[in-house]
Amino acid sequence: MIEIVETGPFNTVQDLGRQGYRDIGVSASGAMDPLAVRIGNLLVGNDEGAAAIEVQTFPFGLRFDRRTIFAVTGADGAPALDGVELLSWCAYTAEAGQVLELRHPPSLARAYVSVGGGLDVPAVMGSRSTSLRGGFGGNAGRPLVKGDRIALGDSADIVAVPASGLAVVEPVVALRDVFPDFVDGTLPVRALPGGEHALFPDDGDAFWSQTWKISSRSDRTGYRLSGEPIKPTTSIEMRSHGVVPGVIQVPPGGEPIVQMSDANTAGGYPKIAGVIECDLWRLGQARIGSRIRFVRSTHAEARAVEQAVARYVEDVRNTSAMVKRALRAMA
Amino acid sequence: MSAIDFSDPSTIALLADALTAAGVSGLEISRPGGQLRIVVAAGEETRIDVSVTARPDSRGVSPVVVRAPMAGHFCPGHLSGSAVSDSLPRPVSGSEVLGFVRIGPVLLPLNAGRPAVLTKRLAEPDALVGFGDPLFEIEPQS
Amino acid sequence: MIAILNSHGPLREIVPATRSLARVSSIGARAFLLEAPGEFDLAAQRRIWALSQTVRGWTDISEIVPGMTNLLAIFRETPEDPESVVARLLEAWDDARSIDLVGKTIEVPVHYGGEHAIDLPALCDLAGLGDREVVRIHHEATYRVFALGSAPGFGYLHGLDPRIYMPRKTVPSLKMAKGCVTIGGMQTGVAMLTGPNGWNSIGFAELQMFDPMSSTPAMMAPGDTVRFVPAWIEL
Repeated sequence: MIEIVETGPFNTVQDLGRQGYRDIGVSASGAMDPLAVRIGNLLVGNDEGAAAIEVQTFPFGLRFDRRTIFAVTGADGAPALDGVELLSWCAYTAEAGQVLELRHPPSLARAYVSVGGGLDVPAVMGSRSTSLRGGFGGNAGRPLVKGDRIALGDSADIVAVPASGLAVVEPVVALRDVFPDFVDGTLPVRALPGGEHALFPDDGDAFWSQTWKISSRSDRTGYRLSGEPIKPTTSIEMRSHGVVPGVIQVPPGGEPIVQMSDANTAGGYPKIAGVIECDLWRLGQARIGSRIRFVRSTHAEARAVEQAVARYVEDVRNTSAMVKRALRAMA
Repeated sequence: MSAIDFSDPSTIALLADALTAAGVSGLEISRPGGQLRIVVAAGEETRIDVSVTARPDSRGVSPVVVRAPMAGHFCPGHLSGSAVSDSLPRPVSGSEVLGFVRIGPVLLPLNAGRPAVLTKRLAEPDALVGFGDPLFEIEPQS
Repeated sequence: MIAILNSHGPLREIVPATRSLARVSSIGARAFLLEAPGEFDLAAQRRIWALSQTVRGWTDISEIVPGMTNLLAIFRETPEDPESVVARLLEAWDDARSIDLVGKTIEVPVHYGGEHAIDLPALCDLAGLGDREVVRIHHEATYRVFALGSAPGFGYLHGLDPRIYMPRKTVPSLKMAKGCVTIGGMQTGVAMLTGPNGWNSIGFAELQMFDPMSSTPAMMAPGDTVRFVPAWIEL
């Protein structure tokens, strides 16, 4: 068991999402930074898709009621165990009664707590992700509140983590060759032109060339961007169609909306572009008020990034298992 | 003089297979001073040390050496910061990360384990270090 | 450096949509949307159903989402050759023969009028019809579930009488109740969640049509026939 001892609103149980039910209107949900969840789970010896806690409002605290291996990934900033600062992206062993605390990260948006054995909440339609809109999944279909107690699955990995921790080179460092850095404080987000791109004048220049701000009316469902409104040259009547997270729609007001993890399964606004899936975790870590700029990408580039991410995850999986085996043998 | 050509990948593969078949999951060879350590992991926590390195006396009086917990690349300081050029000696807490041993994307944090004064760095940044190699010298504070 | 590999060949952003050709566009790198040409009608949707059956069987498909005379195909990974994916989808569309899904018939008891029918007066004004007439036209029609989407279990129903078409609101109702029987453009449906909703409410249905814990969570499925049965008319 873990017990939530402190939390802000809208912190939820999430895994890699509820795939395969969009055709009955069920959003995928899942972590806004799925890469952080995958790595956190591998560090603590879980399958990469085990359920973790997504913390997007701080401070957050939980108490372990038994010896538990855990890792905090995603956001920057240091978590603390009984007041002792720890590394992010690092697995540690907590003793029964110890309290893990997450404070407001300096620049990123969301931290993930993975625990050995995963959070043992019931799977609903194949996933433990919380569907806030549907009111099911995760911890009783709702955000975590102080006093919530969540069961943990069984973990066999407990002996394998040294007292000083077992960490990874975090994605933003390990993958810096494929994820371009901030430019003057603006996050570059790669996207492909969408179905109605041609309806926007000058090859969509007003969209691609300006810096957008993530407005305060943004959440796990979508990011509303503020900036100079963009308008299609003609208005068209769209029929409702399936959408996926990353789709960038332009409602009549002209300020784009990027659908995120809790994206509706259907949409009908003109789509100027779609964020490539492997850049969504970076967008998921972008905070309200921060600035982004869209960079025109290609399928070839998206594929190359996707493969680089897959190689990194595979490398973490194999090497962390090997290191744990070796440490256990040498213990 | 052995006739085995150790530069031949197929020879290495053959040896690796033989060792694996014998249940060996780790092999450490260090120089100079000569250490060989073969690790046989038969079960969850079973091991046979064919030859063991001299371990640092963790309870001894100052100074104490922080050694590499396994083979890898030595990364002093914090990865994100470039503050490797810390002026030494300086006091450190027991949990403060002094550096890492990096194995591919995996990092093993190194700390003093107790309040101490960090007096020396004993390996070069990014050097390939072996199990038990000295990395830092510290003087524990009581 | 992959990050700066941004030279753009002439991307196939839009396959030219003529009156007779389907159009394929992408959403991100892994999802492709095929939109049928022509009218928004049952004939087009039957071909989308056929296309769905074909594409669902492709081994590189992760998920498909049939929409209103369109289909979103989500692939497991970004395809190496997006042009060939577009070609495959168009070919599958050309080969798709109209099928009629054998669905069940669902009767939905409706309380027409009353506190939830917040948009009924506006619809009467727009249609130039009396409220009894609007209600009669709505419940006398037979509807087909074209597709599900937007909310868990929500069925887009086709078959609305053109006399009671009503555009979606420009400013959505902020908290429309789950169960509201609504009209959005040329479609009708039953709200599955309480929340913001741009459709126009003319009544209310108690029937539970989604259960996340069931092995078949959604009551409606594409091809089903839906009839609204007036349980109570409160005007």
